[in-house]
Amino acid sequence: MTAKKWMKTPKGYVTIAMIAFLIIASIGSKNIMGIINSIIAVGVSLTVNYFYCTITNKKGSRDGTIITGLIISLILSFTTSWLVVAGTAVIAILFKHLLVYKKKPIFNPAAFGLLLSIFIFQTGQSWWGAFGDLPAWTIIFLLIGGYIVTDRVNKFPQVFSFLGTFFILLFLMGYFNVGNAADALRPPFINAALFFGFFMLTDPPTSPAKVKNQVIFGILSAVSGIIVYGIFGGLTYLYIGLCIGNLYSFLQKRSPSKVSSLRQNVKPTHRGLSK
Amino acid sequence: MKKNDKKWVILCSTALAAVYSAGYFTTETQANLGQPLPQIESNFQTNSSPVNGSKESSNITNSRYKDGTYTGSGMNRRGSIEVQVTIKKDVITDVAISHFAMHYSDRDVVGMPDEVLQKQSPQVENVSGATYSTEAFQNAVQDALDQAQNAVG
Repeated sequence: MTAKKWMKTPKGYVTIAMIAFLIIASIGSKNIMGIINSIIAVGVSLTVNYFYCTITNKKGSRDGTIITGLIISLILSFTTSWLVVAGTAVIAILFKHLLVYKKKPIFNPAAFGLLLSIFIFQTGQSWWGAFGDLPAWTIIFLLIGGYIVTDRVNKFPQVFSFLGTFFILLFLMGYFNVGNAADALRPPFINAALFFGFFMLTDPPTSPAKVKNQVIFGILSAVSGIIVYGIFGGLTYLYIGLCIGNLYSFLQKRSPSKVSSLRQNVKPTHRGLSK
Repeated sequence: MKKNDKKWVILCSTALAAVYSAGYFTTETQANLGQPLPQIESNFQTNSSPVNGSKESSNITNSRYKDGTYTGSGMNRRGSIEVQVTIKKDVITDVAISHFAMHYSDRDVVGMPDEVLQKQSPQVENVSGATYSTEAFQNAVQDALDQAQNAVG
């Protein structure tokens, strides 16, 4: 595949967006540590992916692995030690290969790795690559990149249902003075929600394709995420929401195969009857 | 939905912006409550009534700090920390985290009060990956020390 063709693929779009965010956020924060962490995360991800695929004689997406590494480095604080960055990347890539259905990961690898890293390493996740530490106007970059990528992967129903439900629930929380809705609607948490909605929720292998299922996926992720946020606060709410959505997508993928297998069993009878 | 249905995308985006704005303005009071008090007001309050400070205020002439227990707060975009710092004869004798409202684990800052006692300074070592909690804690201790210093004057 030529570079031009690759750039037009969904993974090409996401990779370019992530690299652009990495550069903008590094310039904005005047710190090169984020770039160093991204090199570590991508390098470790590719290494783990290579060894796993070689040992098990399976194929693994190199582009997807790079995206996972980039997302991890954009979310983990750039003050995070390189060992924790590497550890998170190892977890993400291992579970990407271990929890699969029809050779596709069940859970979004980056989200799953980052969720586990909170419990294992107590990582401080700053979402610096979503411009969480920069002035609020930089959110415009997230929106531009997000709309371009979402359009490319055809996931607008999912993104709108997620963000719509998310904002409505936060509005209700704020109105009835339940939990800390104010924080979730302001930087850096709104940056996290937008980055998450546009670039992690829309991961094609771990989310549904049909419009109806996309809408349900978005609503389910938002509702479960907000419940977790309302009860526990913290930073796990988006990941847990996505994991619930991923499980729904997984169950959806499983059910058609059951239906089709049932159809295969039924067809001969129908034919027999029609004769 | 058709992929190129731009009208649909614009309509949904507008609806999203409206709901977000409603949530933002509804929570404005809640957000403002989390903001730190202006410095002058904060100092005025503590000058008038440092907790437990009234009994041990005899040596204020050559002291840097006025004896007592002072409550300081530090906050950033990731939450806030409130500490209670006890000072006796210019020595920090006790530091306690009275309120932890960061979006990170409180385990990040557990060892910091002891570090302040050892160093006799709010400049605790930056915990890797917990910069925001460290900053908020440092600011909270500094805030309490500032109040103790201003109480002398």
